[in-house]
Amino acid sequence: MKAQSAFSVKIDVNAAVADVRDQLSGCDPIVVLYFASPVYPPERIAAAMAAAFPAAQTFGCSTAGEIVTGRMLTHSVGAMAFGSEAITSAKVEVITDLDHPGYDAFASFERHFGVSMAEMDPSRYVGLILIDGLSRKEELVVDRIGDLTNVNFIGGSAGDDLRFAASHVFANGASHGGAAVLALLEPAVPFSFIKTQSFTPLPRTLTVTRANEPCREVLEFDHKPAAVAYAEALGVPLEEAGAHFLSNPLGILFEGEPFVRSPQRVDGGTMSFYCSVKEGMELSLLQSSDIIADTRRDLESAITEFGKPSVIINFNCILRTLELREKGLTEEYGRLFADVQTVGFSTYGEQFIGHLNQTATMLLLY
Amino acid sequence: MAGQAKKLIDAIIEQRAKGSKVLEGVVKTKLILKGIDPKNFTETTPDDPAVIGRLHELMAELR
Repeated sequence: MKAQSAFSVKIDVNAAVADVRDQLSGCDPIVVLYFASPVYPPERIAAAMAAAFPAAQTFGCSTAGEIVTGRMLTHSVGAMAFGSEAITSAKVEVITDLDHPGYDAFASFERHFGVSMAEMDPSRYVGLILIDGLSRKEELVVDRIGDLTNVNFIGGSAGDDLRFAASHVFANGASHGGAAVLALLEPAVPFSFIKTQSFTPLPRTLTVTRANEPCREVLEFDHKPAAVAYAEALGVPLEEAGAHFLSNPLGILFEGEPFVRSPQRVDGGTMSFYCSVKEGMELSLLQSSDIIADTRRDLESAITEFGKPSVIINFNCILRTLELREKGLTEEYGRLFADVQTVGFSTYGEQFIGHLNQTATMLLLY
Repeated sequence: MAGQAKKLIDAIIEQRAKGSKVLEGVVKTKLILKGIDPKNFTETTPDDPAVIGRLHELMAELR
């Protein structure tokens, strides 16, 4: 068995897990990845999923909405069971000290796979990262991982249905807050990545001249109060700037590809972002485009290049999900993944090479 | 002194990418997301001790 997805919308946690287990009863998974609405008590769903699949490593996180084959859901648990035809070997580790991430987990990976992380072949191994979406530590953790290895880690920040109270990651029966789960996989099949965002760069840049980086705040663009410069760049009154955040975020451009930094709010002249923005960075103003069309295009491009995937793990920004909900497009978005075993969730941030906003990052197994 | 940052950036990219164009792009992206854009550093860029220090830390980390 390569992989099989399942989901349940049953309200009771034990009933939901039993429902998922029953749907996967023909599977013999070595790894079960799951994403659970915060309607399920985190400790109980983590324990129940581990108990339901005792022969598998189980891990996942809480969400702001779930994605499974052909569907976008809420108040559900979605899961993917991976068999040995999909994954040869896997090791799951938890980082509980997000201020000092990396070494212990990486030492464990090196013992398990018998090769140093610095020497590990990124075409043979791939990492998944799930991290507390309220920790504000994503950049620290992702940068650290990127410093230590060429293996790509892709993932998302755990959510809590926009309550912004507590998000959780799960690993092998336990739930953790203020933590990250790293899973290092040796897939048995080829794999690739999609990083898709629906924005076009506009011919206007803003350079960060003063920032409070740990707080993800930009005080000044081009030596002006950040919000004033942003509003001027858009050509709108300052008081209307906030209404443009979703459709006109900023992005770091590399070879024409935006790495989106989404504004969160204005406080005086200061702009807060959903991810770190550093002094000296040149950011391009972006204009939103069509999420459905752009995602379809990027999926088709991957299929053209690598063939049809058998599995997709989709980390889809909650801001994209909110736009899809507002426009009544969640069913259409779900249908983009109707022909492929899919699991994913609506995230509080996405990870691929760095920490991103308003993006979907996907791991595709073939 | 000038140009030291470019030398370090080139060394980091060479060390990490090992000749792979794909990895070269990934390493450059990682640097850009850290606030160090390789295209902004040339042989004549004055040495900034803060940037040089960060690049030395990165070099050490990668060994």
